[in-house]
Amino acid sequence: MEIDTGQCVHCGLCLPACPTYVETGLEAESPRGRVLLLERLEENPELMNDAAAMFLDDCLGCRACEEVCPAHVPTAHMVEEWRAKEAYWPDEVGPEGFAVFRRISGPLSFFFGSARGLAWFQRLVRWSHWPVIGQWVSHLRFVPESARTLSEGLPHRVPKSLSRIRRGNPPAAPTDKAMLFVGCIMDTIYAETNHHTQDLLQLGEVEVVVPQRQRCCGALHKHGGAPEVARRWAQENIMAFEESGASTVVVNAAGCGAMMKEYSNLFEKEDPWYARACRLEEAVVDATAYLASLPLPDGAPQGAEITVHDPCHLAHGQGIRQEPRQLLKRAGYHIQEMPDSDLCCGSAGIYNLTHPAMAQSLQKRKVESVPEGIGQVAAANPGCLMHIQAGLRKQSGTVEAVHPVDLVWEAYHRQGVV
Amino acid sequence: MEDSLIEALKMAVGARYLVLDPMALLTYCCDGYTLAEESPRAVVLPATVEEVQAVVKILSAANIPFLARGAGTSLSGGATPLNGSVIIHLSRMNKICEIDVENRVVVVEPGVVNVHITRALEPYGYYYAPDPSSQQACTIGGNFAENSGGPHCLKYGVTVNHILMAEVVTGAGEVVRIGNLAGEPEGPDLLGLVIGSEGTLLVATKLWLRMTPKPQDSQTVLALFDEVGEASQAVSDIVAAGVIPAALEMMDQLAIYAVERGAYPVGYPPGLAAVLLIEVDGEAHEVPAVAEDVHTVLSAHQVREVKMAATPEEKARWWANRKTAFGAMGLISRQYYVQDGVIPRSRLPEALSRIAEIGQRYDIQIANVFHAGDGNLHPLLLYDERDSDLVERVIAAGSEILEACVQLGGSITGEHGVGIEKREDMRRQFNDTELSAQYAVKDAFDPPGLLNQGKLLPSAPTCFEAKPAPVQSS
Repeated sequence: MEIDTGQCVHCGLCLPACPTYVETGLEAESPRGRVLLLERLEENPELMNDAAAMFLDDCLGCRACEEVCPAHVPTAHMVEEWRAKEAYWPDEVGPEGFAVFRRISGPLSFFFGSARGLAWFQRLVRWSHWPVIGQWVSHLRFVPESARTLSEGLPHRVPKSLSRIRRGNPPAAPTDKAMLFVGCIMDTIYAETNHHTQDLLQLGEVEVVVPQRQRCCGALHKHGGAPEVARRWAQENIMAFEESGASTVVVNAAGCGAMMKEYSNLFEKEDPWYARACRLEEAVVDATAYLASLPLPDGAPQGAEITVHDPCHLAHGQGIRQEPRQLLKRAGYHIQEMPDSDLCCGSAGIYNLTHPAMAQSLQKRKVESVPEGIGQVAAANPGCLMHIQAGLRKQSGTVEAVHPVDLVWEAYHRQGVV
Repeated sequence: MEDSLIEALKMAVGARYLVLDPMALLTYCCDGYTLAEESPRAVVLPATVEEVQAVVKILSAANIPFLARGAGTSLSGGATPLNGSVIIHLSRMNKICEIDVENRVVVVEPGVVNVHITRALEPYGYYYAPDPSSQQACTIGGNFAENSGGPHCLKYGVTVNHILMAEVVTGAGEVVRIGNLAGEPEGPDLLGLVIGSEGTLLVATKLWLRMTPKPQDSQTVLALFDEVGEASQAVSDIVAAGVIPAALEMMDQLAIYAVERGAYPVGYPPGLAAVLLIEVDGEAHEVPAVAEDVHTVLSAHQVREVKMAATPEEKARWWANRKTAFGAMGLISRQYYVQDGVIPRSRLPEALSRIAEIGQRYDIQIANVFHAGDGNLHPLLLYDERDSDLVERVIAAGSEILEACVQLGGSITGEHGVGIEKREDMRRQFNDTELSAQYAVKDAFDPPGLLNQGKLLPSAPTCFEAKPAPVQSS
């Protein structure tokens, strides 16, 4: 994709939508400022300096600006393109975020690139809860310091096996055949959410297949500036989908869903992979949106009130806002909305590892906007879950961040439906 | 900038909130008006009135020009720094301080986004009435400076009608309150004088705004036309029929083409020459009757279709589509140059045909999207900055459009302000005596002429007396 900033007419309507502008109040930290920087750097690369690199790299990729832009300027996508071009700067220059990404992109590829790697990742995360070994894990060379704060947001119990090795009870007369995309963090840390998704799909008369060949969607690499890794993994996922015989790919992580709906961007139009990627894109649905369309039963009213956080790549990336709410309401939940529910929580993939300061400011803003008396915050994305949970624990309250699918499953489970 | 000055400013706002990096400054080189660009000398981001005051004192002692900036959505260059000015960016002063329902007053800092005020008032059944199309981003401080309007100003008035009191910092660094909560001027109407002075007289640091009760009911009527003349005649006829719509907006063919490709397409049928959007509001019992009246007037013209919004969502979509029209121009052109002339409503058909004629003569594409009800035109002249000949033609054509507005008995600006853009065009509107009076006002408030240099008033006078020349020529 050629960086084309020409559509931006400098109207500024994007400013209040941008979390980094809201946080800093600086034009250079706004989408319009970033577009102007990209435009001027394109004309004259000599202008690049540390500050400009930082302003650009501070972009969360949340796409809030893209959603409100009257001229559809793809600012977040353009910054991603820029990162991919610039990410190979020598170590001593460039923003801190680049350096962190370089340090962890190798280990990320190892852990998320295969089922074996994922099992190791799960094991390490589980160990990180143990007093002595936990210390050792968190001081491994490739674990950035910022990961220690993030680990506060881990569930108390990390599952012992990957979600993909479970077999469910297929419905007698399925209406659709869906491939459950299990992801990486979802497959390991939130394995139960995948099981719950499978149960609910089956409750809704859908046959579920879980291909073993699938792997991480590649979004973390794509956003960080390593599209070649994402491309390789996309190919694996495309093959897994083709072999599965499913007509739908159900994704319960907003970030993965948004990424997979844009797989074709990874390939040139002439490349045969392009058409195959397009077919996958069309099959991808978000789990909450898909479940909301299934004939699930009405649940009994739940006692405590919940609130909903809109993950960026669900709301801004996929335009999905109402469906998770419909699903939760049908299961019996009463929702009290939080202000700015679609403002990024700061997680943004691995942004909370590469840009800890900004990520924590946004985290604070997010947990402070959770209304009083709320028991749970629903968030349909693993990054948001962990990051918001870490923020909530800092507040020393009892509020939990929970995936809406888990909330719905629990409601039905209490009634003996699943 | 001198080191001592840098240190002083750092002391005033904190090192973090003084911006000196050239690339950071570059992003402040213009606002929504992109035909003039200059990087500021520095940007400071104060958080309190005391910090604004300290900054102003430091700058005025050093004789350095400065200007306040909000979201930088201005369309005439009001927030663009000239002559090495320092920008006082008020984005951190963004608190809603108090909602006083009893007195129907909301107290806000200047950096609050316009629509956030309405959102905050919603639970109380009130809203803030002036709604510039940029209301999702523009700040109330900027609205104060520009005396901003918007679609609903036809019935509810512009910014000046909704500000009761203001805390301001003068050019000398004094903090003063202007106006009072009763909303009646004590002596000369100073508040009326400074609202709309485009930041050339003082910097607002806190505003007391009127809260308007939300109308019980409202209805939006949409009319699709095959001919622009019919649509503009209908505008006059609606008002002549005794209806005061809350808003009466028009878009022409090219504007429709752009918004239908934007973030909120309505699904207008192809081949339309113009659409009218008419909102009526008021008591629940009167709204359907008034909407019916509007429907009747519209149907008496050659109109393809007249529709009423069936749901609140449909209504919201029609308006979102209209309000993002300027930004959507990016989809059909690299740049646009928007004019803001005003004409008497009855001359609308004539004005539109003259604009079309000017467009043809200069070979420029012009889209029209505007507040038809109050005769506030917004011709958008499309161009590409890489074509210098086109840029010149666009500027010349824009100037000629303003001349036409003045000839038709109107004005060169309705709501976007004069800024850099229409500075020289002020001479079309005012004679030398009138301009001298304006210079005298500027001189009274800001004798050294440091506030928002190069804006509003035309460059140094040549053929009339004014003392001392307050504005440097750029």
